[in-house]
Amino acid sequence: MGVRAMQEATYLILTALAAGSQHGYGIIADVAGISGDRVRLLPGTLYTALDRLRADGLIAVDREEIVDSRLRRYYRLTPEGEQRLAEEAARLHANATAALRRLRPELTGGVA
Amino acid sequence: MSELASPQGRSEPAGLERGYRRLLACYPRAYRRQNGEEILAVLLACARNGQQRPGLAESADLIKGAMRLRLWPAPRPPRTVQAAAWLMCAGVTAQLAYLIINVATAGSVGSAYARQYPLWAAAAVHHAVTISVVRHEVGGVIGIGVCLLLAWALVRGRNLARFAFAAVIGLDWWAMYQAAGQGATQHAQADMTAAAVTWLLILPAMVLLFFPASSRYYRPKPRVDNPVAPGLQH
Repeated sequence: MGVRAMQEATYLILTALAAGSQHGYGIIADVAGISGDRVRLLPGTLYTALDRLRADGLIAVDREEIVDSRLRRYYRLTPEGEQRLAEEAARLHANATAALRRLRPELTGGVA
Repeated sequence: MSELASPQGRSEPAGLERGYRRLLACYPRAYRRQNGEEILAVLLACARNGQQRPGLAESADLIKGAMRLRLWPAPRPPRTVQAAAWLMCAGVTAQLAYLIINVATAGSVGSAYARQYPLWAAAAVHHAVTISVVRHEVGGVIGIGVCLLLAWALVRGRNLARFAFAAVIGLDWWAMYQAAGQGATQHAQADMTAAAVTWLLILPAMVLLFFPASSRYYRPKPRVDNPVAPGLQH
């Protein structure tokens, strides 16, 4: 057994941050977009995940702004977060390829 | 959250903000000080147009997040510490079950006393049973409280709690040894069985707490990236 599989919400949050730093609301909107509106994070869930990801060193605070007199904090991926996301994406890709190869051998050129 | 359009330029109802602040009060103070204003801004941005008070789903989500942070703070403890905490909770459950059984079976304890000491008056038997039950209940409740307090401190990485837990186990073992020496295995079988079951759960918990992975967790390490924002400090 290697590293534990990532939860979908965590994976989507890291994916949202892979394009650049984002604030909380931006992450929620981006995750909804990436998942085709299937995953809609609630703020409580988002911040629990962000807190854990920060503690694990996968994300960090990029900068803070005050917009309409409200605090907006931007988060970014750390090099460790990028690596962990790349590993997870490769793992998911390998699993998806294996499944598709068996379901539709004509599309992937043979049976695994 | 029914839409994810840009929230800019919208004025939020004061009642909605008050409701969110009340819910955010469930979070630990330090976390609230650091993230409260930021979460509030996101909550207000996610609110529906015209929303007057927090919805059920987002309220439940915030309460769940707050409870999670209180019970299971970041950084997350290693699996050995998590397993130890669960074993301690299982031990507390076993102890709780024993306390309930202890009260429920007080009558049969009285009969046993009467059989063992046929010369005792009924009032003396009743007195002895009452003292026995109260002693066990009070001791059990204190034990449960101490165990929960230690579990709470252990998942928060308090190294001292590991040694306090070991000391409590040592004391408990000594009390059980003394009781067995006084013939408790014969006349207090239920007590000894309950103690044995609790031990089967608590002892592996202590072993897990001294695994190398656990010891690394209890080493002091400063938390990086910990910005402090002005915010909800009530």
